[in-house]
Amino acid sequence: MTKKSLVLAALTASSLGLAACGGGTGAGNADGGDGGDGEQATSIKLVAAEYSKDNTKAFWDEFAKKYKEESGYDLEVQIISWDNIDQQSSTMIQNNQAPDILNLNAYASYAKDGLLWSAEDVIPQESQEDILDTFVKYGTYDGKFYGFPDLASARALFYNTELFEKAGINEPPKTWDELRDAAQKITDLGDGNIGYALPLGPEESQGEFSMWLFNNGGMWKDGDSWTINSAENVETLEFLKKLDEDGLTQNNPGRTNRADAFDLFKSGKVGMVVGFSPLAAQLDEDGTVDYEPAPFPTNNGGESQTFGVTDYLMAFKKDGNQDAVKKFYELYYQPDQVNTFIEKEGFLPVTESGVERFSDNEDLKVYLETLPNAQLTPTDDPTWDKVKLAVQQNLGAAMDGDPKDVLDKLQQTAEQQ
Amino acid sequence: MTPRGRRRRRQTGQISSGAAWLWLAPATALILGVVLFPAIQLFRASRGEYSITGLRTGDAGWSNYTAVLNHPSLEVVVRNTVIWVVVVVAATILISLGLAQLLIKQFPGRRIVRWAVIVPWAASLIITSQLFVLLYDYNYGIINHLLKKVGLIETSIDFLGDDRLTLASMIVVGIFVSLPFTTFVFIAGLNAIPGDVMEAARVDGASAWKRYRHVTLPLLRPALMVASVLNVIYVFNSFPIVYTLNDRNPGYAHDTTITFMYKLAFESQEKDVGMSAAAGIGNVLLILVVIAVYMKVVNWQEQTR
Repeated sequence: MTKKSLVLAALTASSLGLAACGGGTGAGNADGGDGGDGEQATSIKLVAAEYSKDNTKAFWDEFAKKYKEESGYDLEVQIISWDNIDQQSSTMIQNNQAPDILNLNAYASYAKDGLLWSAEDVIPQESQEDILDTFVKYGTYDGKFYGFPDLASARALFYNTELFEKAGINEPPKTWDELRDAAQKITDLGDGNIGYALPLGPEESQGEFSMWLFNNGGMWKDGDSWTINSAENVETLEFLKKLDEDGLTQNNPGRTNRADAFDLFKSGKVGMVVGFSPLAAQLDEDGTVDYEPAPFPTNNGGESQTFGVTDYLMAFKKDGNQDAVKKFYELYYQPDQVNTFIEKEGFLPVTESGVERFSDNEDLKVYLETLPNAQLTPTDDPTWDKVKLAVQQNLGAAMDGDPKDVLDKLQQTAEQQ
Repeated sequence: MTPRGRRRRRQTGQISSGAAWLWLAPATALILGVVLFPAIQLFRASRGEYSITGLRTGDAGWSNYTAVLNHPSLEVVVRNTVIWVVVVVAATILISLGLAQLLIKQFPGRRIVRWAVIVPWAASLIITSQLFVLLYDYNYGIINHLLKKVGLIETSIDFLGDDRLTLASMIVVGIFVSLPFTTFVFIAGLNAIPGDVMEAARVDGASAWKRYRHVTLPLLRPALMVASVLNVIYVFNSFPIVYTLNDRNPGYAHDTTITFMYKLAFESQEKDVGMSAAAGIGNVLLILVVIAVYMKVVNWQEQTR
């Protein structure tokens, strides 16, 4: 009997322990938040994403000190890695413990759920006017500006100048045909060299694909209707599939994450990859790969488009936190705060004064010129928050299947929401 | 309760129920707080309707459950889970039986070998999994490097990206991390087998295989049972290996029910806490049923003997 009870005990402990780890707990019916009885908050909480180990925490700690000095409010700072922040912020909201300020790469669903302060409530007019129009446009949901940008990035084509030289290519490609030729020549060098590193794995396939489809005159969404399976986009995905089939990309692009593609480029074996300024900073630090950024080639040789990304600092509406939150943004959007953060993290400015301030930085020139006209994914539509996930989990399948079929299904997903 | 009854109880070494509850209070609080409360919360979450942000927007009735059951990938996920658990546990037990047999023998360096077997157990599963991702890597993995060096293959093998190999590659890691615990359970079990039984069998002229089959294995039964039940639970619940090794693959083609549950909450296009909680309830029920069936079968064998 003892062995049976031993097994039983083990079973109970383990299987119920499993229940405890199950997909999230909590059942708070959130309608505003804690606090509640109209009192003024004396302290607010910021949950911020970790852009880099060295700088993110240091900046926000310093910021909290300054904020306390200027406003009298305390700022509690919690830094969370990008791997976990989605999960943790979701859990906080489930448990009715939303922070006052949350730093994330999406905002529209939160605005839709009525959780956020809009700009007219918490952003000083002066700061609102300073934010670049593009970001105001993509930060506006249902006529109100909720998605306050903390920093931005824009993509460019990174090419390995050493490999280009070896393969006898004089210039970065301007059209897709030229890109394919260049990739062919680099692949022909042999020795494991890869023409173009194409990450269509789940980490960020929507980013890679955005860069390509914008440069084929495509869009995710046109006005109010989704255009995921438009002729341009199908052509784009077919072109990428062809690159893979012709052996001009790394192995298995549908299952390569962006980080893996960057690692390959850093190893010096890759001719071209879509990069951004943080990658440039890493490459410069390593100093082992000779590279240059260039505008991304277009399908028909037209003007190059860039894919821009911005992350958000959104403000949760809670009783009594409005003034403290307002003071937070007042300080954050002061040029020496926001731009210091951006500079340290190696990203791009989100304000006009920031663009001016960085304009004499040669390294950033190629991005800054394109930034004001950058195209973003439709982050102002809450549906996109789900479509993005669908793209991440399904786009790679086009490399083994039918591109049109994959895009048709994504279009369907978007229209069903 | 009569005073007489209480006295009699004292005489048999029992204490009053008040004192008993006092002693039991910490354990009870622990069970309530760590087991029961989360379980109730999980069930409540599974009956709720959630926005993608995690905000509860209303009651969902049983619709989260039907959504999980109608999920197009559920079939492949369940099939993966069955293969994963059965193959890992079966292979682990077979290999561990051999290893344990070896490790109870006296030989020089036994202590070192025993330590070596225990090391994978001490390492965090996430670190072990990351290590295997590096070993398996298509571009710079040591395994591919070695195979090419020896001339066995021309081009690299995509252990984690080729659909035919992904599950098998994960199973190898699953077995690797399950071996230490299982082996040491068997070592303890083998040490508990009295020497005179063995000697009697030997005197009766039983061959080595017969001694193993008819003496050792039956006496190892308790150890075998503990090892298999616990391993089924551990392997079934194993999140880090499947999640980490499958990280680059889109979709659910190589997920088990545990990683499926996680993806439903945070990575899938559903991104639905309620659905994920419903899947979590399903996971608990599934493992309870499997264990109940297993114990039934074992008991039945005992009774018919």
